[in-house]
Amino acid sequence: MVPWNTRQEHLSRRALLKGALVTAGGLAVANWGGLFHSPAVAADAPRRRKRCILLWMNGGASQIDTFDMKPGRRTGGPFRPIQTNVTGVQICEYLPRMARQVDKLAIIRSMRTQSPDHPDGIYHMHTCYRQSERVPHPEIGAMIARYLGDPDSDLPSFVRMGSTGNGGAGYLGPRYEPFSLGREGRLPYFTTPYVNAQAQERRSDLLRFVEEEFARQHRAEPFESHRMAEARAWRLLRARSVFDTSRDWPEARDRYGDTELGRGCFMARKLVEAGVPFVEVGQENYDSHVDNFVCHKANMGVLDPAWSALLDDLRERNLLEDTLVVWMGEVGRTPYINNRAGRDHFIRAWTIVLAGGGIRGGQVYGASDADGREVQDNPVSEGDLFATIYTTLGVNPRVRHYVGTRPVWATPEGSRPIRPLLS
Amino acid sequence: MWHSLTLLFPAFLLAQAPPTSDKATWTLPWDADWVTAVSFVGPNRLAVGNNLGEILIWELPDKPGGSAPPPVRRLEGHTNTINRLLSTPDGRWLISASNDHAIRCWDMQHESAESAGIVLNAITIADAKSPAGRRAGRKIPPPIEAQVKLSKESRVLSGHRDWVVGMSLSADGRTLASGDDKGDVIIWDLPAGKEIRRWKVKGWAWAVALAPDAGLVAVSERRPLVFDSGRHVGMKIWDVRSGEMKRDLALDKDINKHIYGAAAFSPDGKLLALGPGGELDPNNSKIILVDPASGKKIRDLAPGHMGVTDLVFHPDGKHLISCGRDTNVRIWNVADGKLVKQLGQPRGGQFKDWFHAVAISLDARWLAAGDMAGAVQVWSLTNPQK
Repeated sequence: MVPWNTRQEHLSRRALLKGALVTAGGLAVANWGGLFHSPAVAADAPRRRKRCILLWMNGGASQIDTFDMKPGRRTGGPFRPIQTNVTGVQICEYLPRMARQVDKLAIIRSMRTQSPDHPDGIYHMHTCYRQSERVPHPEIGAMIARYLGDPDSDLPSFVRMGSTGNGGAGYLGPRYEPFSLGREGRLPYFTTPYVNAQAQERRSDLLRFVEEEFARQHRAEPFESHRMAEARAWRLLRARSVFDTSRDWPEARDRYGDTELGRGCFMARKLVEAGVPFVEVGQENYDSHVDNFVCHKANMGVLDPAWSALLDDLRERNLLEDTLVVWMGEVGRTPYINNRAGRDHFIRAWTIVLAGGGIRGGQVYGASDADGREVQDNPVSEGDLFATIYTTLGVNPRVRHYVGTRPVWATPEGSRPIRPLLS
Repeated sequence: MWHSLTLLFPAFLLAQAPPTSDKATWTLPWDADWVTAVSFVGPNRLAVGNNLGEILIWELPDKPGGSAPPPVRRLEGHTNTINRLLSTPDGRWLISASNDHAIRCWDMQHESAESAGIVLNAITIADAKSPAGRRAGRKIPPPIEAQVKLSKESRVLSGHRDWVVGMSLSADGRTLASGDDKGDVIIWDLPAGKEIRRWKVKGWAWAVALAPDAGLVAVSERRPLVFDSGRHVGMKIWDVRSGEMKRDLALDKDINKHIYGAAAFSPDGKLLALGPGGELDPNNSKIILVDPASGKKIRDLAPGHMGVTDLVFHPDGKHLISCGRDTNVRIWNVADGKLVKQLGQPRGGQFKDWFHAVAISLDARWLAAGDMAGAVQVWSLTNPQK
């Protein structure tokens, strides 16, 4: 397991504030540049092999209309189940390609969580802690970047696309802040040089010289942090070809679907293949208080090819064993269908799906009751889920950090990995 | 069997005005699930479909008054939501479109020996008996029982691969147009039960309106990805005989504001009514009257439905009847666009149980609307006392 952090590597309050200032100043490349770089981080390098892709269903997907169907019940709705490639497991008819991937999936049908609304649910399901806590907890992406990222890589270690988390790097500091791409995986505009490569290099050298001179006279952490972030930005320019999909997207388009999510999943595959340890891809439109069924049907039409192509692609490149793919949102949706033909937020019995990365596929874990109103077997909390994810990725779920002098853990006390899901 | 009927009406029927009372003549209870489709079949039969794919037939008395009649027949075959019910002008055939991808044709002259007992308020009773119902002190109502004959369909039209959401019939009852969520539009020769033509629209087909002479068909298109570049809306008129697009109504910026959930041609084919669907702000859900020949908007009707769910022209062609998510049925004067009558009561304002479908009998004596609460309201258009 990963050793607990030493006191020396925890982030000081002062450094945290400085980092926040740097990030607030618009340096979106912060997760390369660190406020600290310790030998312990370097010691974690052998564990960098594992990666994680989070498919974030923003707004909260309906479990009953996807992976925990209730045919024939009043809560069932108009979608019908289809048989999958695992005997006895059925999922929604509008996920036909995913039905052929169920042997790779662990479907958790017994999520019972605590934060029913969007901002608090998004935070909670990205950090496994309540938003109301005074400690700024890091998102899962930052934690993975911290333990599985390569500090010497030209690429960011925490990338996201679309509407996703709201917690950022928290107490881990600006070095692990997410690097945001456009929803289709486009690089931000500032990464496109407007002069040729030689001129760009001359400018870079000049800037470096001026900043080094400045730093000699002003030895302070924010200046160093700023300089490091700039250096990382130059490194990104070197590595930007990884983000170029113009050659291979036309071939991949038919598999992934010509959609933002399809492009996002394709980019996620490219990035993990290039060594990025955490990529999050968001899909919008799930907050279906109104017209839940047309909404979910449209979403599944986009999700099904993108997600299944991603799993196929990872498997064909021998990446799936080391890449965990997580499908979840901040809440589930009510079994009860309201009189706007919608389903509202629901946290008492909902579903999350894991695949790859050391997860044992072809199984359903836990169960909801006949109408999907309560968990019937094996309730799973936010902490249990994160403990499972961290464990399968090789990160100690009880790793301790310090905020000031206060110790905080990667998962709340009492969190337990779900052992039957782990290979 | 499939003879065409004239749409001419006796003068006294043409002269009938909409009802002056908003009180329904009968409320027909059926709480098994949401009522999603209604259609009159001949002068006195009312066909009603629900979310479960069940269809019940009521025989209405000749005159208004008395207690609500019981259903007399149940049509069995569909396995998912009934989206549309239509009948041929001779009252012989009922046609149903469903989420189970099928269109079914039911011979209303066919009599079955089989029958079954049903309880029309079974869910209300079950809810009252549930722990939550007992805690709330709900009174358990007496069962409303009925004995119904059971019928199977005579023919299944199998050409769709997704929910059949839109369906429309020509005035002679011989040509049927249907559209599904795969975007397939199919034209059927109904007497032969054969597909004549099909084409694909962008996105999903929603509202489908066939002109009375079966020359044109209006089809609305949608892809409801709200916060995504894949969102699509469209409203086009197609030539039925060639399958070619004749007019893109969405080129008109007044028309291209909404996804249309309901569409209907007037009996003379000179007007096309379009009702914006989905949940809308009450001030932003105007029904639009369009000249199908030019594609130009003629006029807006006053907003208020919060999303239109169904539109049907009165057989006189002078009135349009609409229903929507605001729990009201409205009757409009087509000539000046003024509201003639609003039927029903808002049951608590926004987000209460909306009306899914409205139908008027061919002789214009009855108006019916089915709601999400699991009931059908029937109004008499000839009540002399009102």
